[in-house]
Amino acid sequence: MEFGFTIAAYVVAAVLFILSLGGLSGQESAKRAVWYGIVSMGLAVFATLVGPGSGLWLLSLLLIAGGGTIGYVVAQRVQMTEMPQLVAAMHSLVGLAAVFVGFNAHIEMGNVLALGHEARESLEGFAALLAHKSPVEQSILRVEVFLGIFIGAVTFTGSVVAYGKLSGKLGSVATKLPGGHMLNAGAAAISAVCLVWYFNTGGILPMALMTLAALFIGYHLIMGIGGADMPVVVSMLNSYSGWAAAAIGFSLGNDLLIVVGALVGSSGAILSYIMCKAMNRSFVSVILGGFGGTTGPQMAVEGEQIAIDADGVATALEEADSVVIIPGYGMAVAQAQQNVAELTRRLRAKGKVVRFAIHPVAGRLPGHMNVLLAEAKVPYDIVMEMDEINDDFPETDVAIVIGSNDIVNPAAQDDPNSPIAGMPVLECWKAKQVFVSKRGQGTGYSGIENPLFFKDNTRMFYGDAKASLDQLLTLIQ
Amino acid sequence: MTPDSARQLQKLGYDCAIETGAGAAAGFSDATYVEAGVEIVKTSAALWKSVDIVAKVRQPTEVELKRMTKGKTLISFFNPGGNAEGMELARSKGANVIAMEMVPRISRAQKMDALSSMANIAGYRAVIEAGNNFGRFFTGQITAAGKVPPAKVLVVGAGVAGLAAIGTSTSLGAITLAFDVRPEVAEQVESMGAEFVYLDFEEDQADGAATGGYAAVSSPEFRDAQLAKFLELAPEVDIVITTALIPNREAPELWTADMVAAMKPGSVIVDLAAEKGGNCKLTVMDEKIVTENGVTIIGYTDFPSRMASQASTLYATNIRHMVTDLTPDKDGQINHNMEDDVIRGATVTFDKEITFPPPPPKIQAIAAKPKEVVPELTPEEKRAAEVAAFKAATKQQVTLLGTGAAVILLVGMVAPVSFMQHFIVFVLACFVGFQVIWNVAHSLHTPLMAVTNAISSIIILGALMQIGSGSYLVIVLASLSIFMAGINIFGGFLVTRRMLAMFQKS
Repeated sequence: MEFGFTIAAYVVAAVLFILSLGGLSGQESAKRAVWYGIVSMGLAVFATLVGPGSGLWLLSLLLIAGGGTIGYVVAQRVQMTEMPQLVAAMHSLVGLAAVFVGFNAHIEMGNVLALGHEARESLEGFAALLAHKSPVEQSILRVEVFLGIFIGAVTFTGSVVAYGKLSGKLGSVATKLPGGHMLNAGAAAISAVCLVWYFNTGGILPMALMTLAALFIGYHLIMGIGGADMPVVVSMLNSYSGWAAAAIGFSLGNDLLIVVGALVGSSGAILSYIMCKAMNRSFVSVILGGFGGTTGPQMAVEGEQIAIDADGVATALEEADSVVIIPGYGMAVAQAQQNVAELTRRLRAKGKVVRFAIHPVAGRLPGHMNVLLAEAKVPYDIVMEMDEINDDFPETDVAIVIGSNDIVNPAAQDDPNSPIAGMPVLECWKAKQVFVSKRGQGTGYSGIENPLFFKDNTRMFYGDAKASLDQLLTLIQ
Repeated sequence: MTPDSARQLQKLGYDCAIETGAGAAAGFSDATYVEAGVEIVKTSAALWKSVDIVAKVRQPTEVELKRMTKGKTLISFFNPGGNAEGMELARSKGANVIAMEMVPRISRAQKMDALSSMANIAGYRAVIEAGNNFGRFFTGQITAAGKVPPAKVLVVGAGVAGLAAIGTSTSLGAITLAFDVRPEVAEQVESMGAEFVYLDFEEDQADGAATGGYAAVSSPEFRDAQLAKFLELAPEVDIVITTALIPNREAPELWTADMVAAMKPGSVIVDLAAEKGGNCKLTVMDEKIVTENGVTIIGYTDFPSRMASQASTLYATNIRHMVTDLTPDKDGQINHNMEDDVIRGATVTFDKEITFPPPPPKIQAIAAKPKEVVPELTPEEKRAAEVAAFKAATKQQVTLLGTGAAVILLVGMVAPVSFMQHFIVFVLACFVGFQVIWNVAHSLHTPLMAVTNAISSIIILGALMQIGSGSYLVIVLASLSIFMAGINIFGGFLVTRRMLAMFQKS
């Protein structure tokens, strides 16, 4: 009876989870969809607590409440610019939880198998489920547990490293230990050997060895991937955390875990795919780190970078009718989104058409720029995707590039030898005038020279993005 | 030099001096110069003696050149092509001469291209002169006293002067037609509001970019087609402005005597090429004549002088930019960098050597590559392509489904029923996930990650199921898992809500 109720609750929860993801198709429906997610999570936890196998109610509730408090405080305090770190940190928690649950499953299995036939009959819950498994099922269970721990461990260390890189605690430069990908391949081979070993013996030693190898893979893999590729890394880890949950779901025989894990896993996979496509790079080349090999000498850039001061920018903005702003990671670093929003408000008050162009990989997290602009109260209906706005640049009077580089690099289209050749970019150089707010004359993360900066209609507005905009705001009332 | 440019030059570290009364014709009195910190020198001889850099407009005379000494720099129009004696004299004196007409036509040098500045003025003034001699309105009007048709203006040659003339004429309200032998300028002409006159003539035109941005000589067949077209237009147009010049050649004859004869009485022709013989053979240099059939032909060559104030301002700015480029360190010291394309191109004598003509500039003048023509697909071809794409997609999908089904069947052969039940759930969930996530708005990807983060904490269910176990190790590990998942659930959902609440419609 109780078991039936749990399954029924799981079905409802699964449907609500799907709706909560589906609701994210629009800004307004998304606000409702979050509640579906919250309700279904509550329902799932409640159903599991009253269902078979669980005990220590009080302890469980206390732990949830304790964790919840921390989560609540973190969620209230986090800055929107820190979202990438937060997401990475949360992935690491899911990964670690998956490892622990996996080990528990292993321990339980050992305990149950050690019991005699009669003792097995008296067991409840998960243990009972284990007790009734045939030898073939036990073998499959071992593979499932093994996979769950493996993916969980990779997710854990990978996310910790990603967190470190995103929060600036680790350098964002791609670093590899000597041996490079051979080390990863070696660790993966050790894991494979351990799988066979564990499959045959069921001992703790191969399991522990594999966990260490997986932890190493997660660490080393993400260490080898640099700054601008982080959106792919984060969405990939998102995907892994889902697959880890699904694998654990298999081992525990819990369909809700499987469903949700698969949903999250495919969501992360699609995000990674979208990001890779936006950079015109294959998933493998991102994971293996470094930019793809160049096929020849890059086109030499001719001309000079012409600087302009705030007066000049202000005059041009006063005269312009349509303005497109292209924010990038530099805006997030300088915390300039409030100033950008203020500039937008003032320009709009003067009756000018101001819009934002967002490249899919702008920032360090998919959709990062949208969130930052939303936080600064920029209305979302003037924030456009690349495909929506690229055709409008020739009719645009002024394009302002704030802290982006590769996503506005014309070499991607003009120079077949460029490392980013073929990557879809925002064609801001087609606007009548382009202003680039940039710290100095450097080439940015990828080290690729940007011919945009040398174009006749481009003027460089040097300085910290926030300070520059402050100066501009005093001139535009 | 204007008072404004003098201030700019002082910022570069130079002291400025000017001959008394030099700015009077352009409306700049000596007093305004003094105010700008310029020293007024009484005679030109004293001025030439006292300064290091001399900037002037007209080609220097022999007397003036003799005043040059070694190391002095002269910036002026110089006509180096037809002034070999002047160059030789400047060389022997050791002066460095920069000829303003030799500034290469590259985009970086536009700011010092005095020819363009002057051509701009000439184009504008040509329309004004024409209007002065034309007895009707430019713009069409319907008044109580009757209807006035708009004037029709034909501009031949769409260079700098031609484009300036087009702009002026359209803004006065005339119907403007324009012609140029370089079809690639049609876009510029149309952007100025004029109509480009196309010929019914098929020939690959020489790319203007190959000749440094100037027009080249055209073939006889092309010329015939062009003249026929003009003859056809002649009775219709009221004002003709010809600006066609080919470097180092006599101006081509484009407006023949029979075209003039075909024009209506009262029409006006302004020939900006009068200095080089004129695009119309009836033109008399520096004079205005009226033909027998009442057509006025204007052959003035001094348009910039007729707008002295504007011309001085532009030329002074050109000179200032040239000096700025000569003074990269802004320290008042000339750095005559012969590696610089612009400076090298404009320099005709340097360090006791004649450096004319300059080598071709390293940078091509105009980077407009001929567009690759994408052949227009016929409907059948399009259809065939669509069918092929559909077939390929179907093939891919079927292969994918086939492989997937085969893999599942294989797994099903060995795996027990209990596993297969879960496996079906898993596959269906992946399928649903892919369908649902593709519809998520790009702008909501960050909230999507936060919410998937929260719900991937569903792993808490596993821990909750295990915490009831007897083993302490299991309880500890499960407790930790529950705790961490708790952080994630609350943190993930709350942060998502916070983010979504920020998305406001305008």
